[in-house]
Amino acid sequence: MIKNRNKWISTALITCFTVFILAACSSNDNESGSDEGGSTNSDSIVVWAWDPNFNIAAINLAEEHYEEEGFTLEIQENAQDDIVQRLNTGLSSGTMNGMPNIVLIEDQRAQSFLQSYPDAFYPLGDYFNTEDFAEYKIPPTSLDGEQYGLPFDTGVTGLFYRSDYLEEAGYTHEDLVDITWEKYIDIAKDVKEETGHPIFSFDPSDFGIIRMMIQSAGTWFTTEDGEINLENNEALKESLEILHQLVDQDLVSLHNDWSGFLASFNSGEAATVPTGNWIVPSIEAEESQAGLWKMAPIPRLSTEGSVNATNNGGSSFYVLNIDGKEAAAEFLGATFGSDIDFYNDLVQEVGALGTFIPAAESEGYQFENEFFGGQQLISELSEWMEDVPAVNYGLNTYGLSDILVEQFQQMLNGKSVEDVLSDAQTQAENQFR
Amino acid sequence: MASINDQAKWKPRRLHAGFIGWGFILLSIIGISIFYFYPMVQALILSFQSGMGASLEFVGFDNYIRLFNDPTFTSALTNTFIYLLIQVPVMILFALIFSVLLNDPTLKFRGFFRTAIFLPAVTSLVAYAVVFKYLFAADGLVNRFLLNINIIDQPLQWLNDPTLAKFTIIIAITWRWTGYNMIFYLSALQNVDKSMYEAARIDGASALQQFFFITIPLLKPIILFTSIMSTIGTLQLFDEVMNITSGGPGNATLSISMYIYNLSFEYTPDFGYAATVSYVIVFLVVILSIIQFKVAGDRD
Repeated sequence: MIKNRNKWISTALITCFTVFILAACSSNDNESGSDEGGSTNSDSIVVWAWDPNFNIAAINLAEEHYEEEGFTLEIQENAQDDIVQRLNTGLSSGTMNGMPNIVLIEDQRAQSFLQSYPDAFYPLGDYFNTEDFAEYKIPPTSLDGEQYGLPFDTGVTGLFYRSDYLEEAGYTHEDLVDITWEKYIDIAKDVKEETGHPIFSFDPSDFGIIRMMIQSAGTWFTTEDGEINLENNEALKESLEILHQLVDQDLVSLHNDWSGFLASFNSGEAATVPTGNWIVPSIEAEESQAGLWKMAPIPRLSTEGSVNATNNGGSSFYVLNIDGKEAAAEFLGATFGSDIDFYNDLVQEVGALGTFIPAAESEGYQFENEFFGGQQLISELSEWMEDVPAVNYGLNTYGLSDILVEQFQQMLNGKSVEDVLSDAQTQAENQFR
Repeated sequence: MASINDQAKWKPRRLHAGFIGWGFILLSIIGISIFYFYPMVQALILSFQSGMGASLEFVGFDNYIRLFNDPTFTSALTNTFIYLLIQVPVMILFALIFSVLLNDPTLKFRGFFRTAIFLPAVTSLVAYAVVFKYLFAADGLVNRFLLNINIIDQPLQWLNDPTLAKFTIIIAITWRWTGYNMIFYLSALQNVDKSMYEAARIDGASALQQFFFITIPLLKPIILFTSIMSTIGTLQLFDEVMNITSGGPGNATLSISMYIYNLSFEYTPDFGYAATVSYVIVFLVVILSIIQFKVAGDRD
């Protein structure tokens, strides 16, 4: 009896175990089937993008404008970090399973994908005219003369400011137009003295502000040929000195994440926000401040060649080299690549500013923004967009930024800017060979 | 005759039993080989390669040489050791004190206190890290409290000051893991013979003496186990740093695991070098565990 019972129990256990494993496997299959359905279902074009109110809304709008029969689009929302991770793991594994047809990639990251995974992306040069787009968008989205990215939004910058605070400190709009960062520091001192408000809020781990400054002078952390360009980079030196003065003299407040950044101006603390135009919806989110905000061009460096226009952020579409690439490329070319009506609707319905120059004449771009005292934001921004100096962001934008972020901490402790730059140069040359 | 008969029967049954036994073990051997050993060997091979993304080539020991000239790696290593040297002893001491207090049979609501102290260990790493981030924000609860009781007159930059940011991470990990270690000590204390304490009391030993001369020596194997586990855990620290400070300000809170993440996903991917850095963790775990065994372990 006992023997029998033991046998029965062990059989039952094995059966349970087998059933469990089978069940686990099959439910996995189901999950991956529905998750990445696009890759198995070759009829629909799969798109990865990250912001439902911005780029996903733009893609939906594009689909409405596209009248190709039998064309279906499947948009999968992924956080931007997840897209970067999934592309990296997927592409490096060598199989294209589960990859989307169209993916949105940030411009400052694009070169690292294009160069790390040759042949993974499909050239789009035949599907649109690169001359229709803001010039600065082209170097980051192309490689060896082939155009891989279709430029989407612009990160063209503005100096968004609280007109009430600036007035209290004795400044009018004209005093802020086409100024240098040096002048901006003087203004910051007056604002601090008269109103007690910090001039802007700064994240010590994010060097977006430095990247904006150096691009306005047409330089970057790397040269055209990809050589690391920190030590003798005059624009970078001036930028670090300006930031150092602002932080050292306590003219800025500090935050360390996105919500802290939003709070810095929604709460009415910061007097200005120097950044990309994509911040406008977030500024407008605080309705009680309607009419108090205005926009001026971003300050420039005193370094030769610096202009009052630069860029922060912005992304472009890429087509992966898998089945359905022609259909995906045709879709992008016919909408984001050439459709003026679409761009007109995009600006009015989604509030997204593209880099397609012919659209600037359209009616939607002349919109007067009541929140900013009736200023024609879009029209002004798209004018500045054409002036943004083109730079090649190269491979290591984020790696080099992190090195400088760390060195900047030492600069706050008294290290000289020359030492900071030469140490950063040595460190970078060791790290990114 | 009967015994011979028995033996003849016994042999095949023994074989049969062995077969079933091996069958069960085989499943986990195959599982561990596929999901642990194979990736480990692959990672070791990968650590001798370098290049962008998919275009990897063999570079010999270049990656290992590169480690020594990499200041970011050095600061990640230093930070991790600061966490390790401060946090692990503090946490183990707290866990020991809590477990002894909560083992007192005269204490009321023992179950409640035990649960309360263990509870942090069941929270999700990301969720608690985000809560800590808000607690220690410039206008967070901690700063408001300190301002209100007039200890400070300006909000402390918990997350933007290099020293305070490390301190915040240490507070967070200690909060999360103390209760977890306490449970090990509590269960070990259940096996300590009460008569020893009785004898000690009769001999006139104070509570403190009982703690140092009875409790700690008897818990030694468990203390060794928990300190090895905590060491390994701290070397792999990732979620807290990622979510509370993302390694900042500068690289002041960067941990080794987070540097591996940055090398693979944040910068231009170099999986070869990232694998090299992860083998450093393997190496450190082995070395530190050997040291801990030598210092604290008995030979048995």
